[in-house]
Amino acid sequence: MEIKQSLKANKSLFLKKWFQATIETYPKDSARILGKDANRFDNPVGAITRESLEEILDLISDAYTSITLEKALDPVIRIRAVQAFTAADAVSFVFALKSIGEELLDPSLYRQFDRMVDEIALAAFNKFMKCKEEIFLLKATESKRRIHRAFERAGLVAELTEEDLLGSKKS
Amino acid sequence: MSDQIKPDELINKIDYSPGSGNWMDTTPSVQIQPGMYCYAAKAESVETLGLPNARPWNPLDEDWHLPENWQEIIFNGIKERLERFRTFKIFMDVCVRCGACADKCHFFLGTGDPKNMPVLRAELLRSVYRNDFTTAGKILAKIPGGSRLAGARPMTLDVLKEWWYYFFQCTECRRCSVFCPYGIDTAEITIMAREIFNLIGLNIDWIATPVSNCFKTGNHLGIQPHAFKDMLDFFVEDLEEITGVNCAPQYQKKGADILFITPSGDVFADPGTYTCQGYLILFKYLKEKYGLDVTWSTYASEGGNFGFFTSHETMKRLNAKMYAEAKRLGVKWILGGECGHMWRVIHQYMDTMNGPADFLEVPMNPITGTIFENARSTKMVHITEFTADLIKHGKLELDKGRNGNRIMTFHDSCNTSRGMGLLDEPRYVIQNVCDNFFEMPPNTIREQTFCCGSGSGLNAGENMELRMAGALPRANAVKYVHEKFGVNTLGTICAIDRAALSTLCEYWVPEVEVYGIHELVGNALILPGEKNRTQDLRMEPLPGCEEDE
Repeated sequence: MEIKQSLKANKSLFLKKWFQATIETYPKDSARILGKDANRFDNPVGAITRESLEEILDLISDAYTSITLEKALDPVIRIRAVQAFTAADAVSFVFALKSIGEELLDPSLYRQFDRMVDEIALAAFNKFMKCKEEIFLLKATESKRRIHRAFERAGLVAELTEEDLLGSKKS
Repeated sequence: MSDQIKPDELINKIDYSPGSGNWMDTTPSVQIQPGMYCYAAKAESVETLGLPNARPWNPLDEDWHLPENWQEIIFNGIKERLERFRTFKIFMDVCVRCGACADKCHFFLGTGDPKNMPVLRAELLRSVYRNDFTTAGKILAKIPGGSRLAGARPMTLDVLKEWWYYFFQCTECRRCSVFCPYGIDTAEITIMAREIFNLIGLNIDWIATPVSNCFKTGNHLGIQPHAFKDMLDFFVEDLEEITGVNCAPQYQKKGADILFITPSGDVFADPGTYTCQGYLILFKYLKEKYGLDVTWSTYASEGGNFGFFTSHETMKRLNAKMYAEAKRLGVKWILGGECGHMWRVIHQYMDTMNGPADFLEVPMNPITGTIFENARSTKMVHITEFTADLIKHGKLELDKGRNGNRIMTFHDSCNTSRGMGLLDEPRYVIQNVCDNFFEMPPNTIREQTFCCGSGSGLNAGENMELRMAGALPRANAVKYVHEKFGVNTLGTICAIDRAALSTLCEYWVPEVEVYGIHELVGNALILPGEKNRTQDLRMEPLPGCEEDE
């Protein structure tokens, strides 16, 4: 059986197990609550994680590129990048797929599936770094944007302009 | 009955894996994570206020340079507060740990850290209370394992560090208290914990320095009167360019009808500065049309009150200038700008703290005759109530089309919604100055609103990860209305929100911009004698005027 068909056929099981493994990266007392299938506004981490994982599974059982993978990973990584995870712990949930694959797929597909997981992991790492960079940029420029800019407009301070300092990085 | 669980299924569900250990076992050294905490208060700022133990210290260091008898100070601090504040005593005793609050905190939902469940955050303090102040705790402590049975633990340095870390991961937003069957106000527990920190010099700098600035120069940013005036003069120039009308305010005018006080963020920080310009346009309009005499003050130049996040006494000191200036100028009553925690202080504390302000009149809108009954005692009215009243009586000429490119939603600020019940007036104003308004889901607005994640002095830069994690539940709802209805503007009536939500949107929903409500009023209000307006207050083309640019 081809890997994509196999992934499609087992999608709901993959999703259930992968979601569980991802939520279990949180402390046990929290995982109990975040793992609930609650209203998406009462439990954003659970809901967004589930949606994001489902989208990734849909992608790998069809056609994907590193760009579409990163896009699908964005919501879940964007959350994990601001939680108290180390970089490794933030993306480790991707590797949980390997053991789930061994449970659910035909052994002949293991190698191919592992390579897919590696691609997802690399995309996750890319996305994690981008989110961290955004955070650092916000840290570096927030007060400048809010307060300094108002002062600059009023001519109360005269030094390098925000544009000079930020260059083309301004987002 | 087929959906009932069968015995073998139930057995399968039993989890034999050992638990993660008792929460009371603080890790040997508390893990204070970068990005999740705020820098320590500068010694000079603590000194200005005459608060104890001013010295340089770093939360990441082993040694926090505490006074030798810090445990005794904390014990006495708790004791004094238990005797003084009945609420604190009740909140320490009454919690049954039902868990209704557990998943209601934005910091828990965003960080996934179990100690951010309001019940567990409060237990950090309650466990020490049980150990030191309850009879059961004292008796049980004498038998092996008894303390654990009582949920009690002694005050150690690790416990103190854990308190510090988690009580500065609470924005005192009170969402949890909405769901508590006993009405326990976790914010009040955080307030007490922070008061106790200040007894041994453990404030954070994003609170201590603004408080010190406010005490010295009248506002959190430490801007002196001439610079305050310079900023407003600059807004007046911009407004003249946009509207063709001179909207210059008056300062310290004795005998004016109304004293206007707003958070200094409106004067000094974008995008609050545009809200400030909205106030100037409104006051100019009211002066021209109805002769209303409003004065600003460079002395009472701060509506916000970070003293509230320090101690009751500090809050009182900073708040006092509002009534003092109103008395000195001889105004009838005070009008307050768009702010959050400022209103909690005014609504819940000011009247008994620095009042009664019996030298002021019960606020009445002289244009409509409306008496603001809710402010009968405090003598201070929120500007959205005032503007809503003017609109309701048809006293403002508004051109909604000028906000035609704004597809709005509204974020209820925690303090104005849960702290004073101001829910409908801002919505009424928005719907009268703008055609497109969509609510976020009901479990994220009004009394159930989610905090911006940066309130109560946590809007610093160094704790950005914490802020963004805490902002997730709010951002999640904003993103939903952005995707569903094309919302591009998040309206709010709080200065901290205007700053914090702008950053929140940059990270979570970059397509959405943050606006104060009076910025929209300023855009829509048709000033007598105005020129053909082509720009909004941000000097961007008004809808339909794009080609004129």
